Amino acid sequence: MIEYPEIDRYASLDSPMHRFDPRAKVIAFLFLIFSIVLLNDLKLVLIGFIVSILFLIASKLPFHFVIQHLKGVSLFILPFLVIMPFTVKGNEIFSFYAIKVTYEGLRYGILVVLKAFSAVMLIFPMIATTKFETTLKALDKLKVPNILVQMLMFTYRYLFVFVNVFQRLLIAMESRGFKLGTSSYALRTIGNALGMLFVRSYERAERVYLAMRSRGYAGSQKTLVGFKMCTKDYVLAVFIIAFAVCLHIVCYAGVGVV
Amino acid sequence: MHISDGVLSAPVLAAGWIITAIFIALAIWWSKKKGIEVEMIPKLSVMTAVFFVVCLVHIPIGPTCVHFMLDGLLGIMLGILSYPAFFIGLVLQAFLFQFGGVTTIGINTVNVGIPALIAYVIFQRGMKSELLSSRRGFSAGVFGAIAGGVAVLLVAVFTAGALIASGEQFTGVAVALVVTHIPVMIIEAAVVGSVVAFLARVKPELIGNLGGDKK
Repeated sequence: MIEYPEIDRYASLDSPMHRFDPRAKVIAFLFLIFSIVLLNDLKLVLIGFIVSILFLIASKLPFHFVIQHLKGVSLFILPFLVIMPFTVKGNEIFSFYAIKVTYEGLRYGILVVLKAFSAVMLIFPMIATTKFETTLKALDKLKVPNILVQMLMFTYRYLFVFVNVFQRLLIAMESRGFKLGTSSYALRTIGNALGMLFVRSYERAERVYLAMRSRGYAGSQKTLVGFKMCTKDYVLAVFIIAFAVCLHIVCYAGVGVV
Repeated sequence: MHISDGVLSAPVLAAGWIITAIFIALAIWWSKKKGIEVEMIPKLSVMTAVFFVVCLVHIPIGPTCVHFMLDGLLGIMLGILSYPAFFIGLVLQAFLFQFGGVTTIGINTVNVGIPALIAYVIFQRGMKSELLSSRRGFSAGVFGAIAGGVAVLLVAVFTAGALIASGEQFTGVAVALVVTHIPVMIIEAAVVGSVVAFLARVKPELIGNLGGDKK
């Protein structure tokens, strides 16, 4: 039915990526993601793609875990590869009656797919190797506006609660013979059920707020986790950022490296 | 409704981040002015979480399935605060499920956040005009359905616009996107309409604000 958002299920493993300081990790990998995504040269993107795979391997996350996540993402990415070769105008590779496959379309399609998969694969060493709570604390230490960090934290925490609540609601409805579908009756019924869910969760939100308020919550939050950067973290972070910058220098210099 | 990384051009991505930053700053400024910013954090987070979970449910339609977007509903219920809610939702979605992209969080928030605000305005205008004031739940349902449907259409149009602004080569993809959203629009209109009608009867204070009414 509904999955739990378990991106950090394997955060307790041990690998160079797991030991990387969360603050440096977030900054370095975000830098690399933006760098690869903004490239326009197919060869350089391919290098970025391979490096992303290497980082993914270095993070030692189980293969099936990564594949399971990538499967869902492909649904959003692969349509580009399917549609673009047919719709972009340019030099034809071959044509079949009115259907034409163009070189430009194929190139754009491949470029998009490689970039998107590189970015997704880099999320694993960045996010999946640390407990999500720790990552959020790292964001707080990096001076991300506190109000946003807190909202991320609370929303994340309540996701698990509402997955359960909603699951229960659906089971209760199905056990009375309800079937999820697109008939007008089904849509109205699910609409009412959702309405009830919103009412209940709003009341819950109010109770949560009052409970927090009575324990002295005044809009800010403090963390007790201390992070420590050591030489290894600096070296790795500088290496990743330097690599990201180099990709763009090569791209602008127009030097073919491969 | 997620544009992946690597599709859009740098100017479009930058514009998305800038607009998003402005709207979030506006929402926080607004909540400070109303004196509800402390209250807003836990309440808005809980509401964001419930919307997020509802959007994970897939409804079978023919051979494929679609999921709720509830874009208009979030706008109708939260008003201006829906914008930061979308932002948080999309950040979590990008990192927890890898749906959408990291670099595109800014523009994706624009594409869902602004239609939600427009839905809010449509709904509020509609309710104020009292065109259909026979029964409260009924008129709320009708305007909710209109706002919900329009929101989905606008999301598709905005996303298509972002694609086309990035390069002409995406025109084909953009057209396909708008067309495939027409059935989603009809389903959304029905569901949002019935949710809003339900809320108007059961807990009308949930529509259009987030606890700022008691002061």
